[in-house]
Amino acid sequence: MGMPRRMSRMAVRIACALALALCTLCFAGCQQARTDDAIHLTIKVPKTSHDVVFDDSISQIDQVISKMAHRFQQDYDRPVDINVQVFEQNQYDEAIPDAFDTQSAADILYGDYFNMSSYIHTGRVVPLDDVIEGAIQDDIYGYLLDMSQVEGRTYMLPYLARQNILAYNKDLFRQAGLESLIEEDGIASWSLDQWTQVLDALAANLPENVYPMMMYANSSQGDTHTMTMLRACGSSFFDESGHFALSEPEGVAALRWVQEGTSRGWWPPHPENLEIEDCSSLFRQGQLAIYMVNNVSLGRYGDTIGLVNFPGPDADGCATTFVSGFQVFDNGDEEKVQVAKDFLRYVYEDPELLSYAVGTLPASISIAKEHADEIPHFDVFSANRDNVVDFTGSNPDTRAIREIFYQEMRSLLMGRVTPEQAAANLDERCNQAIDDGIASSTLHE
Amino acid sequence: MRADGLNKKTYIAIIGVALACMIAAVCIYIAQLNTTVSSNLMATMDEISQHDVETIEGSLDNTYTRLDSVAKRMEVYGVSTLAQAQEQMNLESASTPLFNAIYLLDANGDLYSSSYLQLASEDHAYDELFKDGREHFVMLYTAANGKLETTKDSLIYGVRIDNLKIEGHEFIAILGRSDISVISDQLMIESFDGEGVSSVVNSQGYYVVSGPSAEGLAGHDNFYNVLEDGRIEGGVSVQDVRENMARGESFVINCVTAEGESLVMSFAPVEGTQWSFIMTVPLDVFDQHFAPFMTMTIVMLVAVVIVLAVMMLIIYLMMKRTLIADANANARSEFLSNMSHEIRTPLNGIIGLNHLMARHMDDRSAMESYVQKMGKAAEYLLSLVNDILDVSKLSAGKVELDVRPFSMTELIDNVCQMQQQPMADKDIDFSLLVDDVKYPYLVGDEVRISQVLVNILSNATKFTPAGGKISFSVSQALAASGGRVATAISIQDTGCGMSQSFQRHIFDSFTQERNLNSNSQKGTGLGMAISKMLVTAMGGSIELESELGEGSRFTVVLPLEVTDEQSVAKTQEILGITANVGASEEQTSAPEEPAKIHVLVAEDNELNADIITSILGEEGYLTTVASNGQEAVDIFQASDEWSISAILMDAHMPILDGYEAAKEIRQLKRDDAKDVRIFACTASTFAEDRERARMSGMDDFLAKPLKVSEMLGKLKGVKDMRGKAGDGDAKANE
Repeated sequence: MGMPRRMSRMAVRIACALALALCTLCFAGCQQARTDDAIHLTIKVPKTSHDVVFDDSISQIDQVISKMAHRFQQDYDRPVDINVQVFEQNQYDEAIPDAFDTQSAADILYGDYFNMSSYIHTGRVVPLDDVIEGAIQDDIYGYLLDMSQVEGRTYMLPYLARQNILAYNKDLFRQAGLESLIEEDGIASWSLDQWTQVLDALAANLPENVYPMMMYANSSQGDTHTMTMLRACGSSFFDESGHFALSEPEGVAALRWVQEGTSRGWWPPHPENLEIEDCSSLFRQGQLAIYMVNNVSLGRYGDTIGLVNFPGPDADGCATTFVSGFQVFDNGDEEKVQVAKDFLRYVYEDPELLSYAVGTLPASISIAKEHADEIPHFDVFSANRDNVVDFTGSNPDTRAIREIFYQEMRSLLMGRVTPEQAAANLDERCNQAIDDGIASSTLHE
Repeated sequence: MRADGLNKKTYIAIIGVALACMIAAVCIYIAQLNTTVSSNLMATMDEISQHDVETIEGSLDNTYTRLDSVAKRMEVYGVSTLAQAQEQMNLESASTPLFNAIYLLDANGDLYSSSYLQLASEDHAYDELFKDGREHFVMLYTAANGKLETTKDSLIYGVRIDNLKIEGHEFIAILGRSDISVISDQLMIESFDGEGVSSVVNSQGYYVVSGPSAEGLAGHDNFYNVLEDGRIEGGVSVQDVRENMARGESFVINCVTAEGESLVMSFAPVEGTQWSFIMTVPLDVFDQHFAPFMTMTIVMLVAVVIVLAVMMLIIYLMMKRTLIADANANARSEFLSNMSHEIRTPLNGIIGLNHLMARHMDDRSAMESYVQKMGKAAEYLLSLVNDILDVSKLSAGKVELDVRPFSMTELIDNVCQMQQQPMADKDIDFSLLVDDVKYPYLVGDEVRISQVLVNILSNATKFTPAGGKISFSVSQALAASGGRVATAISIQDTGCGMSQSFQRHIFDSFTQERNLNSNSQKGTGLGMAISKMLVTAMGGSIELESELGEGSRFTVVLPLEVTDEQSVAKTQEILGITANVGASEEQTSAPEEPAKIHVLVAEDNELNADIITSILGEEGYLTTVASNGQEAVDIFQASDEWSISAILMDAHMPILDGYEAAKEIRQLKRDDAKDVRIFACTASTFAEDRERARMSGMDDFLAKPLKVSEMLGKLKGVKDMRGKAGDGDAKANE
């Protein structure tokens, strides 16, 4: 430990330079030939926990992707070098757009649709209709394919899905005298009046440090659930063109319903300062009666919870689906694009690789049916698929919308704006973002 | 030469030592420079590290203070219930970006958060952290201490508080949770143009703050993994680093990452924590900072070396010039001294003989002996002067070779003929081998070549004892360039030979070694120097092989142009006078009846004129003396046609010199103006002098001091020609 040993390093460098140069020249040819033969692909994947019912060694989705890459490299008819890079969930920008036109640009991205959809409009995501044509397409759930398409062309390939609904703490319901609403199986659905009664009952009867339902607006995290709740009074949220339509009476009513919830004690105090993680902790700690779950996460609560759809436009309520899958980027190398497509075709033609989605809701119909018995609550969530609503609309710039939405909701919860003002602001600002996104959208041909 | 050799070795040794010293000095300087630069960079790293550490410590102190203030405001705001306390904390955390959540810890270990979460003591371990009496702490969030409302990388701050009681709960500490991203930008300080990266690592090696980082760090969650994957230089182990960090020491390591990048890492403890601040700088940064100094050093060294070299060269040239000048001066002085001695020696003889002759005027036999000795002394003096003049002119580079076609075989015959009698006198066995002369007709300065060969052969004759052997061999080889033949003439004797030291000096111009053992045979001592210079001037070489007591062999190699017999004959025809003269010289020994022919003697020196007129008068010639060139012209013009048969014309005379006088005489409009024989008489004996005489219309050349027999021989030739002309005329008259 001490000073850097400059002299020895320099002496070694000088002494070795010629020898190294010679060796480099000697081996350059064969090295060059050997490495140039292989096609290099970079697959990027956000750090995401993942469970597979038949393989306890899998805890992260990148392990599945690496397995796919390994198999492909072995079986492909020419040398392929696939580098699977993992990045943090909050580093999509750094991993994808910031890396465009660099050596570390992604050739394939696996991620959640609502994070990936924006990239379609950069013109760099290639259509994958040629990959899924035929049997592959027939084997993917249609509602997932619909979510994968823009202007009739498939830019994303669904691998798995998670259905989001609400869950309630049975004990707290009992404490609040709501035993009658508790269902042991299935996903319940309540009318808006029932919801109001439930929340009032919870607010009135729960202990001082226990709260009826989740609400948060300190960041954009979990905002899609809040958006879903705004359908509570019958709002379709989006109009036919995919633009925000919260200024409709049903939308304003839903915003008012949310705002009044603050004063009626439905939410924890100052929900505008809370994050979804806070509500998650409260629910886990038994201090929150109603919180969201998906078909995977509900497993951690066992039978202490009951399931219920979000309040929706009708008595069945509604649910949302988070889809995860693949995109292929065109980085100017047609050969790479073709190999990337070959990789996806290879994955979707291999039942074993598709089966690693078992644990969530597989995008593959055949895999889902084959493992239906192993997938927790598969039938329940399959039956609830008709109540799934799309929370993306025609929005080409999800990130911009999310930045606007939570701030307006925060103002609403703090009482700084009326429901009408909030609705108007949301419609104006979000639709402007949508229009800007559409105007700047470029789709890959 | 021995001294020179020693000096050369000494100089080489001095230069070698000087170079070694200079190289050593440069190495030491570079090493010292490197140390200084590295020290400065390390000092810079230390300063940056200290600054960053102070920033971190200041930030931590500020955070502790902010947390403590939150607790104090609880009392100020009169918070009376737990719900109010949690709501107050909710607002406090919302009002500052510093905390994502705030927690109160009561004496029972229960934790109350700003997001209304309540964790019983069994659900967390944060109360344990205060049991050692510490006033505050900061740590990386880990679910192992109790799962809080986040999954993000966070820091947990804790500050002990006093006297905060709410709703029967006594709170002993307040905690704050911050996303690391909130403070990472604040703590991250780039240095060295963005190449230096600061990190903070806890005692378990987990990054509290990690920069966008030096290559090799990205993607590693644990600092020790980085070290484990790479290697540390200097015999330091990862365990050593771990222990040093645990002891809170400041230290530096050099390491190489798994990707092969060399890094310098400086560690400094963060007071009040179990963290270490790490400044990581790629070693290339040191190289980059060192490079300009190295470049400047090299440039400066080159400049200094050039200046020194130029100065040394100038000094060397000046010294050399001085030494050469001194050597030349010494050589000339020595030469003059030698020549003075040599000249004085025959002069002394002449004066002494003159004295003896005056004393023995009546003793004919003694007089004959004295006259004979005086003649030899005079001849020696003459040859000495001729050699001196040759050396002088050759040294000055003023010799112009008289290059003409000539016959090499005839030249060799003449040379050998000249030494035939001396060799016969010493009963020397002489052998001549000229069988290899394939190209006998060459172009060169016949006279000078003869001079060289005569000199060598005469030396061989001199120094070969009676009964010895001398071999004279000639060989030729056509030069590669064509048109020229390298004629190698080798003269080998069985004489006394030469020492090695004498051999090294034998061709020197001014420095000659006296042969003490051959006084009786000594010459001027300039012959070999003259020979060397002449051969060199002809583009040839002369080499010597000799063994003391065994004999010597001189080899002269001359590259000469090849010609044919006709060219040689034509040249001899042009120079036929000389041939005639040579022929007449051979006939001088025959007594002849003096003829009454008239000779005009143009001589400004009265004594010389008297001597010449006396000699010629005794030989039966009529003489008329002209004291200058104009007078000679006038006398000849005034004379009857054909009355003057020959003119002995001194070259250097007042009023009108001999050359101009000859021209005027040749231009006179009288029948005998073209035919009168004009002999140049001058001490200027070089080829150009002869040529000038010929160009001015003179027919022949008599070098001063005049050889009487030669002069009479040439005049006899004139007389003979006149006799034939007279016969012709008589026959014509008949």
